[in-house]
Parts: sequence; structure tokens; C-alpha cells
Amino acid sequence: MTQQQGETQQQSELERPEVSPPEPWSFPEAQRSVLPNGLNVVSYDIPGQYVISVRLAVPMPLDREPRDREGIATIMARTLDEGTARHTAEEFAELLERKGIALGAGVSESGLVVDLDVSKRHLSEALDLLSQAVREPTFPANEVSRHVKTRLAEIDQERAVPGPRAAMEFIATYFDADERASRPTAGSKATVPAITPQDLVAFHAANVVPSGATLVVAGDLSDLDVVSEIEGALGAWSGAAADVVEPRQAACAVDAARIVFLDRPGSVQTELYIGCPGPDRSVEGGWAAYQVLGFVVGGSPGARLDAVLREEKGFTYGIRSGFRPRRRGGMFLTSGSVRADSTVEALGLLLDILDKARDGFTDEETQAGVDFIGKTAPGRFATADTVAEEAAGLALEGLTTAFTTANLLALADVDAASLTTSYDRYVSGEWTVVIVGDASLYAEGVRELGRGEVTVLPA
Amino acid sequence: MPLDYKIAERSLANGLRVIVSEDHSVPNVTVNLWVNVGSRHEVEGRTGFAHLFEHLMFQGSRNVASGEHFSALMEAGGRLNATTWFDRTNYFETVPRGAMDLALWMEADRHGHLLDAVNQENLDNQRDVVKEEKRQRYDNVPYGNALIDVYAAVFPKDHPYHHATIGSMEDLDAASVEDVHEFFRSYYGPNNTVLTLVGDLTPDEGFASAERYFGPLPATATTPRGPVARLTALSEPVRQEHVEDVPSDRLYIAFRLPVDETTAFFASSLAMDIIGGLATSRLYQRLVRREQIANSVSAHAMGFVDGVSLGFMAIDVADGCKADAVEAATCEELARFAADGPTEIELESAMAQTERGWLSSLASQEERADHICHYATLQGDPGGINTYLDRLGEVTVAEVQEAAATWLTPRSRVVVAYLKQDGAAQ
Repeated sequence: MTQQQGETQQQSELERPEVSPPEPWSFPEAQRSVLPNGLNVVSYDIPGQYVISVRLAVPMPLDREPRDREGIATIMARTLDEGTARHTAEEFAELLERKGIALGAGVSESGLVVDLDVSKRHLSEALDLLSQAVREPTFPANEVSRHVKTRLAEIDQERAVPGPRAAMEFIATYFDADERASRPTAGSKATVPAITPQDLVAFHAANVVPSGATLVVAGDLSDLDVVSEIEGALGAWSGAAADVVEPRQAACAVDAARIVFLDRPGSVQTELYIGCPGPDRSVEGGWAAYQVLGFVVGGSPGARLDAVLREEKGFTYGIRSGFRPRRRGGMFLTSGSVRADSTVEALGLLLDILDKARDGFTDEETQAGVDFIGKTAPGRFATADTVAEEAAGLALEGLTTAFTTANLLALADVDAASLTTSYDRYVSGEWTVVIVGDASLYAEGVRELGRGEVTVLPA
Repeated sequence: MPLDYKIAERSLANGLRVIVSEDHSVPNVTVNLWVNVGSRHEVEGRTGFAHLFEHLMFQGSRNVASGEHFSALMEAGGRLNATTWFDRTNYFETVPRGAMDLALWMEADRHGHLLDAVNQENLDNQRDVVKEEKRQRYDNVPYGNALIDVYAAVFPKDHPYHHATIGSMEDLDAASVEDVHEFFRSYYGPNNTVLTLVGDLTPDEGFASAERYFGPLPATATTPRGPVARLTALSEPVRQEHVEDVPSDRLYIAFRLPVDETTAFFASSLAMDIIGGLATSRLYQRLVRREQIANSVSAHAMGFVDGVSLGFMAIDVADGCKADAVEAATCEELARFAADGPTEIELESAMAQTERGWLSSLASQEERADHICHYATLQGDPGGINTYLDRLGEVTVAEVQEAAATWLTPRSRVVVAYLKQDGAAQ
């Protein structure tokens, strides 16, 4: 779609400038060490970044949660700073706020990440508070019950919004029902109410341990002795290492390839959520091709999906596609919302475009994707928080940011042929489709597309 | 002590103000343009137009094909977008240094010669896209129209902030190619625009490139109107209820606030934080932690230039609790705060969190460029990014109390209540 320069009517005063090649750039260098208690310390000195970002990544596969207490890792993450051995929840909040510290925590499939952002001059106090939250939480009953109630209300909110509702139904349809991955990370109404302070104390003691965890510090570290700061705050952290179980790929449901239509009467738009298996970062042939594929298929207004659904048809504000790696295996997901009365046509077009991509990619679109992923890297990793997040996310996968660097270099080997091979390796034309919209108006039309069995359920 | 981000400013003969902030930490340049037009300039019957117009800026111009602004810059390693807000419209891209000239050439082409490419087809297409944006963000989600209701209730009819930037479906339908031409001629042009370049360049390089690509454009924008008259706080409460299919009861409690970048605005914004924004805020402590009649409280102050600003809180009522009880408790806290003002610790906390938030946002070239454009366009001084924290830091306990007593009292509140259809909370 790029216009040829020779065809341009030269009315403007100036020729279109040529782009000169980017300057060399590499991902910030890491300094690594390991404390005697087994905590890995990784720091990135990024001059000029005066808010320091700290991320503590604690590997904790979600399937360690008891089946009848699912969501316990999330409730634990949310209550780490709601009462500690030395401070009540209110006192602790005041200590954070007075120094302008942002402290939060969340969990993913692979583990817990505690986030801390603080201006450089308050780093020591902030690390001390992080340490107290991680090592000495007391999980007071009043705070735990409050967070349980808040999670239950959050479930209602998630069900009411089409995007999250579709995502939730997708995992339930796509994964085998015995897999933890088929159920919400933060737990369900069947499991969250059972979580008690005693459960949290036990879960915390068994899982939040220094051995195997990684503390990432990124920012302007000049005149700071980061390792001794961290040793002072977390050197005395102890705990028996949890059993390390080799991760395995979650199994798909035997009937994953089908269409589930969640009936949401009166919806003025229809949410579409489409997926199939994808790779993890260790995939043969390299992860870089899958990043490029995400861009080429559904990563910009000019990508294959939006070129038709947005720019030609005007059905949507935007549809996005991407490969989502998990610890083992992954998914290829496409999602977005379309005008209600375009539901059937839009779904047909989407599936056709996704299927047709198996025929191959052009050199031009491949190069555009390679260039976008590679040349945007300096900007995508320019700030302390983005560097720290990349490092912490990879640490949970057992990787370091050496992966990020190698993956950027590997872009040079991605061509149209390897893109096609990579896509074909996972995309078979069998899709799990979740639709959230008005089924009374559009379910029949979706059936008539002949793209698979359609099950209508209430949203 | 002021921050020391470098700022160099120059105006071209056609009125374009150019600001360069040199920063060699990454081999990139952020190009950011603010046009001094937003939804506050829209006329009756054409709400949503400034934003629809912004979409058309990606559909080609004299020497750029439709969609090419995205494709050409993305394949050069650019990340880009544009946004429209009450007070302004911004266009921005972060590109490798070697693509800066291409970005400026493309920006100058659309900021100078958009109308060559506007036609009924691309207007109709982007009108459809914008309508889907509205459905996605407002019409198809619970509480999606709450802020639209808040704006309409807080500001009088015909006031620049009475209607939301997204506009109405009817007005979007009414927009014509002729409207696009007229809007462009009125508001677009170097004399109503600020260009900021942040990153791996010197001021001389930036000024030379700006002159090269934007210098030839004529000063086409008409003289913008001055700010409208200042508003005072509401003298009587306003209440609006929506009984809808929402997952839980939620209250939006809103206030008029003073004009942006005044001591009174800073003071009222700090007051909003202390009342409802911090993890130690009065409302969080009482409603969420102690009485547990609400699941969450948030507070926001939006600074505007046209005679008034907006403050609002959103409170999610806990299951089985009454929205009226939450509102009554909130009013008690508002009255108490207006009478007593903040403690020293509360003010220290609000300032500390504001400081970290400000430093975090300046940490990226993209956001820094946007803040510079903001200060240059709406306040006349791009150096405002370096002194903001100092000005905020001068606000006293007494000023916060006075601002709260003037602007944040129960009788000046607007309540937009979204209540569950089944009446569970009645």
C-alpha cells in the first residue's frame, strides 16, 4: 500500500526525505549477582531515569493453588501490604504515600511480580517497605475478607464487559477443563469465598521464598550501591525452596475447535475472540518470526485484518492479533469488537483472512514487520519501568534479557519464507471462536457460515 | 529546585512555535504537534467533529496516500498516534533519528495540504470507524456514558465542556466534506500549532528541519477566540440517576474546579487526592477500609483552560450496601475536609505521589514531548515542565482548605448515580 514516489505529483516544495539507517543500539547491560539466600539480583543502570523501578519476580506456577482455593495467589498478592508484623494496613499505606512510593503486586500463570516505583532519593525506605510486605505479611482477617468481597464484585464487573467476558469464555472453551489454565487466574465465585487468612499464611510461607526469585532494579543508579542496598533489605529473607516442577504444556479441550456465542441482548457491538495453538519463546526457528507475524496480521491499521475490517469496511475501531507465549506452548489470539449488524460478515472475513495467511506473506510486508519490531526496540525499552518489566517477565520464564537481545538480532534472519513456515506450523484452520453479542439476531447467520458447531449460552 | 530538562524555543515567520529538548539517551526523536483546537471549539450540531477530523489526518494528504502515514513511519521504526481532547488535538510519533525528516515532511504535508486528499469516501469510512470507537468505549460497556453525563450536568448548556469529545451519533452523521474544509481553514495552520522535538538532536538541527519542512506553509489559521468567562462552583447540588443493567451501584460525584495552572487549581487537585485519590484518602479509609460500604474510590482532577476545570470521584458501592449511605458518608467527609483542611502528613503524601507521577511521565521522551507541547500551547511557557513541582510545592495547608471550602462542598456536588436494575441496593 506504500505509494511509489515516481507517481507522486510533485506540488510540494520539497522532495520526500530518505530515511537513513538507525544508529546501533543494544538492550541495557545487566549487572547480575546472587545473594547467599538464593535471591538473584539484576540491575540496569539507565542514566536520566530518576524514578527507579524495582520488580520482584517469584516463580509460583498457578497450578500450585489448591483446586478449591483458586485465586489464593491473587488475594495474597493484594494483601501483602495490608498488615505486616510491624504495621497495620493503614500505617503501612501512610508510610508508602509519604514517600511517594507506588507498590503493587500481581500474579500470572508463572508467578508473582511485586512492583515498586519510587524516586531515587527514597529508594532505601522503599526497599525496606517492600521487604516487610514480602517477608512479614500477617493477612489480618478483616483485610482478607474485604479483598475477597472486592474480588467477587470484580468478577461481576468482568462478566459485564464484553472483552473480559469473551476472554474468560475463551480459556474455558479452549483448554481442557482439568487444566488450571481453563479458569480465571484470580479465582471464581466457587473458590474465592473459601480463602482464609490461615490459607494465605500457609501459601505465602510455601511459595514466597528467595531461592529462585529475581529482584530487578532499573533506573539511574549512579552513586548507588545497589547490591548492598538490596542485601540490607532482603539479605535476611529466608524460606525453604519450593519444589521445582518442570513446566508442561496445558492440554486443549478435545472439542476446542468450535464457536461459542454468548448472548448479550441489545449489544450494539459484537465482541469476537478467536484463537488456536501457538508456540512459546523456545520455538524451533525462533520467536522473532511470531512477533513479526502478529504485526503483519493484526498489529497496525495497515495490517491484514484492519486493512479490510477497519479501513475498507468501517466495521471496527480496530482488531488486534498476536502470538501469546505461555511457559510451555502458547496461543495465537485475535480479538476486537465490530458493529452489531456486521457480526456475520465480519467473522467470515476475519476467519478467511486468518486462513488465507497460510498461503504466505509478501517480502514487503515481512520487511515492514521486521523493521517495526526491530527499529522500535530502542524506544520500547527506553524507560526504567519497561526494562524492569521485561526482565521480571522473562525471569519468571527462566530467561534473562539476553533473550531479548538475541531475539532482536534474530530478526535479521526472518524472511517471507520463514514467516510462512512459522505461521503454518501452528495455524491449521481450526479455530476456537467466542462471540459476545445479541444471539437472537446473529447466531443463525453465524451457523450458516459453516465455520463450526455453534453453541449459544447466556452471557 | 526546578528540574533541568533542556528547552530551546524558536518561532518561525509563519507563527509555528518550535521547541527542541535535546536528550541523547536513545537514538530516537519524538515529534509531537499540538493544534490549539479541541471539542471545546465545536459548535452545536457538530459535536465530535474535532476528533473525526483527527482521524481524517491519517487518510492521506497532498503527497501522502491514505494509510501511508502509519505504514511509512511504522516500517521506519516509528510508533505513532493522535488524540483529541477538550482543549487540544495532538499528533505524535517517535522515530529513529534517521527518520525524523520523513516524519516532519509527512506532518507538514498533512498539516498544510490535507484538503487535497479529503473526499466523501474517506470521510464516510472514518465516520464509521469513529462510531465504532464510540460504541466500543461508551455505548457497549456498563457505566460507559457516565462521564458524558457528568460533563453535561456539571457545565451549563452551550459551555465548551458541556459535551464530550466523542460527540453524538447524530452529529457525526451530519458531518460533511464541507465541514472538514471549513474546520481545517479555521484551526489548522502553523500559527495555531506547536511543534516539539525531543531526543537525539541539537536545537539547531531541530530548528533547521522545522524551518525546512514547515517554513513554506502559510499562516492559515484564523485568530483563536480567547478563553470564555470563568465559572464559579455550583450553588445547589445536582443529581441524576440511571437505573440500568450494571453489575453494581456506582456513584460519580463531580465538581467544578478552578482554571488549570492556578494556585487554586493545584490546591483543589491536591484536595481531591487527599479526599479520594490516595490509598490513605479520607474516603478510602472510611468507606473502603473501615465501614466497607464501598469496594473502591478514585478521584481525578482534569485541568482545563476555558474558565473552569473538572474534578470527579468514582465510588463503587459494596454489594448489599446502599448508595445513599455511601453518598451521605461522602458528604460528611467533604464537609469535614472543607472545614478543617488537610493534615501536614496528608499534604506531604499528596505532593510526594504527584512528584513521582510527574517524574515517571517525564521519564519517557514521548510523554515529555507531550507535556512540553501542553505547556507551550495552553500556558505559553514550555519550561513549565521544569517548574511544575516547585509551583505545586508552594501550596499550603490553608490554601488546600480554602480551595476545598470554595469548590468541594456537598452543596456544589453533582451526583450521577448508576444503580442496578434489580433494585438490590434500594
